Amino acid sequence: MESRVLLKNRKPDRILDLAEYRASGGYSAAAEMLQTGRPADVQEALEAAGLLGRGGAAFSMGVKLSTVAEYAPFPRYMVCNADEMEPGTFKDRVLIHTSPHLLIEGMLLAAFSARAEHGIIFIRPEYENAARILEREVALAREQGLLGKNIFNSGFDFDIVVHRSGGRYICGEGTALLNALEGKRPNPRKPPPYPTVKGLWQLPTVVQNVETLCFVPHVVQNGAEWFRNLAAGPDEAGTKIYSVSGRVRRPGCYELPMGTALSEIIETHAGGMAGNGRFKACLPGGASTRYMPESMYHREMGYQSLSDAGFRLGTAAVMVFDHSACLVGATVNLLAFFARESCGWCTPCRDGLPYLHDLLRRIENGQGRAEFVPMLREMAGQMGLAYCAFAPGAAAPVESLITYFEDEVREHIKAGRCPFREAE
Amino acid sequence: MLPEQIRAELEIRIAEADHPQELAVDVMLAFQEAAGYLSERALETAAAMLKMHSLEIEEIATFYTFIYREPVGRNVIHVCDSVICWLDGSESLMDYICRKLGIAPGQTTADGKFTLLPACCLGYCDRSPAMMINRKVYGHLSRDRIDDILARFEREEPA
Amino acid sequence: MPKLIIDNLEIEVPEGTRVIEAAEKLGIYIPRFCFHHALGAVGACRVCAVKVLEGAVEGVQMSCMIDAQDGMKVSTTDPEAADFRRSVIEWLMLNHPHDCPVCDEGGHCLLQDLTVAGGHSIRRYEGGKRTYTDQYLGPLVQHEMNRCIQCYRCVRFYREYSGYNDLGVTGIAGRVYFGRLREGVLESPFAGNLIDICPTGVFTDKPSRYTGRRWDFERTPGVCIHCSLGCRTTVSARYRQVGRMEGRFSQRVNGDFICDRGRYGFYYADRPGRPRSGRISGQTVSVDQAVYEARDRLQRITEEHGPQAVGVIGSGRSSLQTQSAMVHLCRTTGWQGPVFRNTRITGAAADTAACALNPENAVSMRELETADAILAVGADPVNEAPVLALAMRQAQRAGAQITAIDPRPLEWPFDFEHLACRAEEIGEALASAAERLSDSRRPVVICGTEITDAGIVLQAADLVAGLRGSGKTAGLFCTLPQANSFGAALLDECNACAADLAARVEAGQIRALAVIESDLWHDFPDRPQLEKALEKLDLLVSVDFLDTPLFEKADIGIPSLTVFEAGGIYVNQEGRAQQVRPAHTGGLPITVTGAGDHPPRTFAPNVPGRDMPAAWVTAFCLAGQAPPETDAQMTAWMRYNFAVLSDLARMDADGVRLFAGGKTPIAHEATMPEKPEQCLELLLAAAVFGGEPMSDYSQCLRELAGLPAVWMDRADADRHGIAAGDRVGLGFENGEVSFVVRISDHMAPGVLVVYRHPDIDWQPRAGDTRYNIREDRIRRIEKA
Ligand SMILES: Cc1cc2nc3c(=O)[nH]c(=O)nc-3n(C[C@H](O)[C@H](O)[C@H](O)COP(=O)(O)O)c2cc1C
Ligand code: SF4
Ligand code: FES
Repeated sequence: MESRVLLKNRKPDRILDLAEYRASGGYSAAAEMLQTGRPADVQEALEAAGLLGRGGAAFSMGVKLSTVAEYAPFPRYMVCNADEMEPGTFKDRVLIHTSPHLLIEGMLLAAFSARAEHGIIFIRPEYENAARILEREVALAREQGLLGKNIFNSGFDFDIVVHRSGGRYICGEGTALLNALEGKRPNPRKPPPYPTVKGLWQLPTVVQNVETLCFVPHVVQNGAEWFRNLAAGPDEAGTKIYSVSGRVRRPGCYELPMGTALSEIIETHAGGMAGNGRFKACLPGGASTRYMPESMYHREMGYQSLSDAGFRLGTAAVMVFDHSACLVGATVNLLAFFARESCGWCTPCRDGLPYLHDLLRRIENGQGRAEFVPMLREMAGQMGLAYCAFAPGAAAPVESLITYFEDEVREHIKAGRCPFREAE
Repeated sequence: MLPEQIRAELEIRIAEADHPQELAVDVMLAFQEAAGYLSERALETAAAMLKMHSLEIEEIATFYTFIYREPVGRNVIHVCDSVICWLDGSESLMDYICRKLGIAPGQTTADGKFTLLPACCLGYCDRSPAMMINRKVYGHLSRDRIDDILARFEREEPA
Repeated sequence: MPKLIIDNLEIEVPEGTRVIEAAEKLGIYIPRFCFHHALGAVGACRVCAVKVLEGAVEGVQMSCMIDAQDGMKVSTTDPEAADFRRSVIEWLMLNHPHDCPVCDEGGHCLLQDLTVAGGHSIRRYEGGKRTYTDQYLGPLVQHEMNRCIQCYRCVRFYREYSGYNDLGVTGIAGRVYFGRLREGVLESPFAGNLIDICPTGVFTDKPSRYTGRRWDFERTPGVCIHCSLGCRTTVSARYRQVGRMEGRFSQRVNGDFICDRGRYGFYYADRPGRPRSGRISGQTVSVDQAVYEARDRLQRITEEHGPQAVGVIGSGRSSLQTQSAMVHLCRTTGWQGPVFRNTRITGAAADTAACALNPENAVSMRELETADAILAVGADPVNEAPVLALAMRQAQRAGAQITAIDPRPLEWPFDFEHLACRAEEIGEALASAAERLSDSRRPVVICGTEITDAGIVLQAADLVAGLRGSGKTAGLFCTLPQANSFGAALLDECNACAADLAARVEAGQIRALAVIESDLWHDFPDRPQLEKALEKLDLLVSVDFLDTPLFEKADIGIPSLTVFEAGGIYVNQEGRAQQVRPAHTGGLPITVTGAGDHPPRTFAPNVPGRDMPAAWVTAFCLAGQAPPETDAQMTAWMRYNFAVLSDLARMDADGVRLFAGGKTPIAHEATMPEKPEQCLELLLAAAVFGGEPMSDYSQCLRELAGLPAVWMDRADADRHGIAAGDRVGLGFENGEVSFVVRISDHMAPGVLVVYRHPDIDWQPRAGDTRYNIREDRIRRIEKA
């Protein structure tokens, strides 16, 4: 059963407009909190709820908010990360197209908690439609006094601007995003200081993913307990939007209890495997996560459950491969993406990824040699020592390919060609 | 170059901004909107408007995918080449478009109508394979659908 | 202070020391590309990996990014870390062109060293290499982007450290590019440091390209003599010729960097026209012959007309040896002088500055970097003492407020507030700006001596004394006209200037002049007076290593040695005496004797052209005395004969600070007269490239001097209907000089500024470094 929190108001092909959103109880959490609550209430509720960041890193939003020090300087920034460039991920787009005001209210509450007056939605240029929707709805919210000065007569000021990116995967990385916003080259920054201490323009800045923020009004309204109980298991909390794609019958976004089993996601919600396909593997949370092999087919897809098994849920972009798919080819494709998108700051990423790509591409083309395999394994491991989390993410598919599908790799080498391609 | 009104609006936003540099990408995109790409002159003008060194603009312009520093066709096609679209045959679709338009990726048709570029995952994996033309995404591509879509552009703008 | 263990060795380091630096203190060199102690750590290259065995963050870490912490245990040899470092180098070499045989960096290339040291010797990568197009970056720096390993040091130096922004990084991923927006001359006068800072051969020294490998050169520690800061250099000589100059680290003086004037100013030393034999009445003779002839004729004049009929002129570009030998020469013969400066006003300013310094108020450049407020008075570091601008920038980056009081259109690579006023208003402005330092704890007052006078210098010194009195660690930093002006101020005994001697020549009191390493023709402001004086002389003796016009005109010309051949002691503007050792044997370069043959084919026991004496030796000979035989004996002689130099005995690697200690500077009259109505005041000012006589001989620097220009305040220009780029004529008493106009919004109104330029012969017309131009004698010749 789909437990819909974020997507409960999803309309085919249109957004939930402001009136509808308010009618469904929207902005009441914010109104009440701003008028009667303390900033710490939001933070405490989120921490108790165990709301983990949905942008990939799964860091507790409540804990993050608690690192904005009481006496930290003003102005402070609340940044919504709508870059969503992780291959396979499209939940933020769906969320914005479903209920933009849920996001706006979430930002408002988060900003209240951090006492931030500037809100920025950083959005990838491919989402031009979403950007326009947000600009329009932000203006409407402002007209109704939901943004701007003295919101709900609480004395709290907060406004939002939409910032279009020029388009690069690395811009979604929280600190690179700050440089991008400042009009600098979007290389990541190395904490400390953390953005909540010195972020945008060296001022306290909270960066959260769209989906994370959309949960905020619900948690504030319904409480931590309720949120925790939404999950499928005791170690998880809330629901999760799974962006399912690849060899399934019904690719799409499914909001399910956190920790729903992979098999259930595929079979019950995504319509099962496409064609006559058999499940071979999936990337559970976008391009920068490890392949889950068939043995994991029934694993619960929650942050805790996957990390216990040595995997990462990432953005929960489940990319499904069947037995007709060449994982070597898929990984070559992923490496090409990462090599192209590297910001060029540190050596492992800038030069190591093209090397990995070259080796694997040779294998796929039938020019591979046995010694490439240990080289791939060693270098993939060494990507963990890059400057930011980009390169370790990029290495995850390669490393897991060698770990779980070494035979497939060696088959390429032995045959001198890709066994999945028709012999020419 | 930049239509007066747009320029005036930008000037106001720059004047009001705490940190005009935050608007660098917006300004570049505005110039690009007007001329198709960010020309040398536009680069200089953008730098002057933002009180930045033109090299600082170049540094970020050359970082981003969606800032074109060279002239492009009137319609820019970005074909997604990331993994799900690849799984669904984006490589052969790219080949198909290349043959159809008579250009290679990165090139512009002789009549200046289309520029063809690869793109990262467009965030439409649920409708793969996908491509984007002028910021509008087209999913579930097949050769027929590509024929249809491109024909629409041909119709809208007779040669 | 944290105590940690690196490779089983214990060391205690100050809080905040990075592990990579702590290791260095133990003599353990951890590989690095992006880390540079002056630029800091950014963690980009990842080659400094070590393994932290015990500590807060265990595992493989970048040693440049982690602070040394108490109880930390680090291994630099751990296989995991070593393997990773080897991989990093392999990755960096993927696209490298492997062109070491034709790369000037070869032999002192960090990439080469670490590639070998890291054990990457077999190429495994079979993919293609990406290639770049290089840019023309001007006459000094050669660009070879294919060799780049993306350590970002160049932009970090160029942008962050030195404050210029025409070099940057474009592109992304494996295609990042370090260069300019478009080809063109690098704007920073510190661009040459890119050569030193780049760990591989992307930026190499252009003028010396393909002339030698590092191991081919004799490398000698040197000190730059192109301004008064005395930055440390390393001189590379080969085949009896200086080939290349690099910055040399100094904890007290320049830090790591030098300016391009200092890096490329040495070409005077080996230019073909340099005097290398004696000259008597235009005839070439041996050096000895010229020296004896000069001695005899000066002797005769002394006998006939008395010792006061001979005058001796020196300068601040001579070594302390030469200066003291000259003083000794006058002491023993009774000749007039030596005088070391041209006019009383400029001489008194410099002298006063030197005498105002004492062990308490003197700050070194490195100390200045820690100032929290700086007030610069009549000083233009970028042009007068370039590396000072770098030091000021570091102070500003650390938060110092900087204020400048100056008429010129200052263009400094950092934020500062410019209080533009006319030169004669500087004193007043200084008085009212002094309160800007009241909130600071470590203020520094920088005072120039080119456009100021002794009164302002004293005022600045008083201000510092006052600040110190109120408990601040205030410092005084004066710039002086030449490399050894401070030495001249210490040694001067005659309270006179060249203008005084010229007047005595005109009055018939002086009949012979011995000019030793002075650029009178170039520097003496009143050319007509000088020419008249020279005309009247019975004898002009010129001793120099430059073929100055004066040397050409002299009755007797005696060549002398350059600093590269003779070495010497130079005292910089903070009173720091620094020893320079000779960089090569001297003599005619092999390019000359071998007529281009390589290697030279004739071998002879004596070096041709080696018979030239240092100027101080000549000075002794002119006095009819035997000079000390060795450099060491000469130093001992100086200490014995001059009380102010006795501390030279304590000279170590940092040099030794000498102070004038209560000496009275040269007396001076009242300051500049007020500017008359209907006039604009023309100021002649130093330029980083152009106007410094020695470096003007460097062809590569002349290319950078641009066109002779006059700067005008916008209001003044508008009044005259003159626009930027117009060509104007300025009418002097005796003739017009034409300039291209530059316009500034932030210079003093009523002032015209001309930066010295090798192509402007201003002395015949202006007669002084300040001149009042009647407004009706400003004429537009040509529109832009
Ligand atoms: C290479 C890289 C790309 C990222 N891209 C995104 C992104 O597109 N959207 C996003 O929300 N987070 C992205 N992240 C995660 C952010 O760094 C950050 O953790 C997140 O925005 C914080 O919000 P959350 O805690 O609500 O997830 C990315 C991280 C990395 C390392
Ligand atoms: S791993 Fe390094 S090069 Fe890659 S994106 Fe991060 S900082 Fe940039
Ligand atoms: S020296 Fe530490 S990362 Fe480059």
